[in-house]
Amino acid sequence: MDALIEQLKGEIIKQLNLEDLKPADIDSDAALFGGGLGLDSIDALELIVLLEKNYGIKVSNPADGKKIFQSVRTMAEYISANKK
Amino acid sequence: MEAYINGIGIVSPQKTFDTSDFLSEIVEHNSKLLNAIEPSYKEFLDPNLARRMARVIKMSIAASFVCLRDAKIEKPDAIITGTALGCLQDTEKFLLSIIENDEQFLTPTSFIQSTHNTVSAQIALQLKCMNYNFTYVHKGFSFESALLDSMMTLEEGEAKNILVGGHDEMTEKHHRVYNRIGYWKKDSAVDTMQLIHSKTPGSVGGEGAAFFILGNEKTEKSYAKLQGVEMIYKPENTKEVETKIITFLDSKGLQANDIDVVLYGINGDVRFDQLYYEIKNTLFKNSTSGYFKHLCGEYQTSGSFAMWLAAKILQTQTIPNAVLIGENKSKEIKNVLIYNTFIDSDQSVYLLSKC
Repeated sequence: MDALIEQLKGEIIKQLNLEDLKPADIDSDAALFGGGLGLDSIDALELIVLLEKNYGIKVSNPADGKKIFQSVRTMAEYISANKK
Repeated sequence: MEAYINGIGIVSPQKTFDTSDFLSEIVEHNSKLLNAIEPSYKEFLDPNLARRMARVIKMSIAASFVCLRDAKIEKPDAIITGTALGCLQDTEKFLLSIIENDEQFLTPTSFIQSTHNTVSAQIALQLKCMNYNFTYVHKGFSFESALLDSMMTLEEGEAKNILVGGHDEMTEKHHRVYNRIGYWKKDSAVDTMQLIHSKTPGSVGGEGAAFFILGNEKTEKSYAKLQGVEMIYKPENTKEVETKIITFLDSKGLQANDIDVVLYGINGDVRFDQLYYEIKNTLFKNSTSGYFKHLCGEYQTSGSFAMWLAAKILQTQTIPNAVLIGENKSKEIKNVLIYNTFIDSDQSVYLLSKC
């Protein structure tokens, strides 16, 4: 899980152009939205595409998004549970 | 129809960002592409917003904010820009993404930012300015069209202060495309300070973002008065250009001999520079001559760099040596004419006067 979390942090930095950040700067349990990294709705779309493109996972139910994208760790857990 | 240039902000391949400086140090490029010298954007943009923005958006926001600060204006009555290439970097990014991912997994950011009016929209968003906002996309007439709209809007009394700008970025991919159609020199590197002596086809690419506050009243900050802009599309010969310039000057109550300085868009391309020399040696043989594309490179909105140069010449009453062609014949500089073309089809003439 830890390896996946670190990989995910790198992918998030790249996908969202968080140029000033390094993976170590991101707290695995910190909120991605509404604080923490301060991401917004456009970033949410970018993260949905990241899951589909890099892990083959489609988030079909929008209501699940809030749980999945709560933190890097919840994203990693969702990927582990659903990766094809 | 005239307007006062009451504020300036420019990001270019020269050190022009400090409005109080006037080419005190010339940056000599040894390349076929003159990239803009970008300032630190942290003063102007929240890093969280800047991360999504391509270079041209950041350059333009920084230049426009400096311009507004220079003119001591918080919110202009209109924002009007001209660009030929728009937000090219983002356009390339999302088109490439479509190809690489077989039309799947398209992300929104680069698409949202790729439209030509992103720059003027982003400036408006940052300023929370809901006033008239327009972007002209007409190849080598883009900035000129923006100027014309600004001057007419001022004349009709619909605005008192307008933020007008020209912006274009050159990407590595687009530079390569232009290279294939013969716009640039064949050499791998070009000493741009020697561009005027070139006897070969092709020029060097450039880019930049230049913004101005045009107002209908003179202020303590006024750099110069923009008397008018004339666009000449695909003239048949030099005689036609000469006639149009004479008519343009006549409409301003001037003759060729009244022009103290002419800034030519000479770009080192042997195929097209002859146009400039014919005008220089006939109409304006008594005027001081200067040029600017060795400083900013060739791009569709390079007229905005030339307008900055002309305004600074009029304000400071000095012509940097690097700009001069031949000797400086002018004791007092009252009128500066810019004669510029992008390649050879879109020719334009601007007249600026001391105020």
